[in-house]
Amino acid sequence: MTALSKHTDVQAASRDLRLRTLSFLAHPLDRLIYLASTRDYNTGLYHHDGLASRFSEEVACEALADCHREAFHQLLISSLENIVNQLQAYMECSRIDPLDFIAAWRGLKPYRVAVPAQTDALSAEFLFSNLRIALAILESRFRRTPPAAPAASQHRSLGR
Amino acid sequence: MTSLILYCAIGAGLLVLLLLAVLRRPSRPEGSAEALLEARHALRTLQLGLLPQELVGRFFARDDLEYVVAHAPKATEQLFLEERKQIVLAWVNQVRQQFISLQDFHFGHSRHFIHVSLASEITLAWEFAALRTVCLVLYLLVYFRGAYGAQQTAGKMVGIAARVCALSEKSLAFLTPAESHALTDNSARGSAPV
Repeated sequence: MTALSKHTDVQAASRDLRLRTLSFLAHPLDRLIYLASTRDYNTGLYHHDGLASRFSEEVACEALADCHREAFHQLLISSLENIVNQLQAYMECSRIDPLDFIAAWRGLKPYRVAVPAQTDALSAEFLFSNLRIALAILESRFRRTPPAAPAASQHRSLGR
Repeated sequence: MTSLILYCAIGAGLLVLLLLAVLRRPSRPEGSAEALLEARHALRTLQLGLLPQELVGRFFARDDLEYVVAHAPKATEQLFLEERKQIVLAWVNQVRQQFISLQDFHFGHSRHFIHVSLASEITLAWEFAALRTVCLVLYLLVYFRGAYGAQQTAGKMVGIAARVCALSEKSLAFLTPAESHALTDNSARGSAPV
């Protein structure tokens, strides 16, 4: 395979990935986490069975890496308000209690392993900083207005 | 009296030139290729990683500050200001480091690869000196007043940095002629004010 035809294949695979999969993920944060999850932590290689069967393992890997870098860049240049909204939407999709989610993200810092390989340290640190601030803002928001679940359980226990 | 001052000034000037000539590192061809690649890498890092307008603009984005002031408690606001300050300090440091690497190449090794006229060398020396001064001023401003107290100086630094990148790019263009157009486009984007 020549370099040019490989490049064309990678572009086609990236388009395919955007169309069939990534278009269902509304925000760069969702895409970043999804694409990071397709990467093998031991090898740093990306795997996607559907894409690999349509193209090849190597082309699929490069297309996933390209889209991963793109999602990272989009998130990096998002405003803080936008990052807070993206994080809140992601949190709501996870259906976990918001304060538990925030505590887990603060403790485990899962976003640290979600950055593409060879990201420069400054860009990564800038994104981590924005996510830390976003978590702090969400935490204060949810502490002010606690979710409905605890109130409902209290109501049940009072009824009982 | 006036002539004495004049002679003293001329003497001091000659002494400075003599010191510069003595302190100037001898330029040897050995290791020049490595220095050339380092300079090329420094230029790419600056143009693609450290100076793109959209990234620098985010470091100093006022809408982020306004959002935090409006929606976050005081403690989070303090955390935000401190984190932005640390990010911008790290950014200034990295920009400075990369320009030192470029400067070392230009004043130490570039004559082995290209003919640089005296006028170009003086222009470059002036721009490098201005850049290092602005980097220092920006660092101090950010350190004492935070990222949002140094936006104008940051804009100036990005402007000078873009000029130096353009000058360096001309010197290094012979290495990768196919890439030079893409990088020119990037430096133009990077030169926009903060």
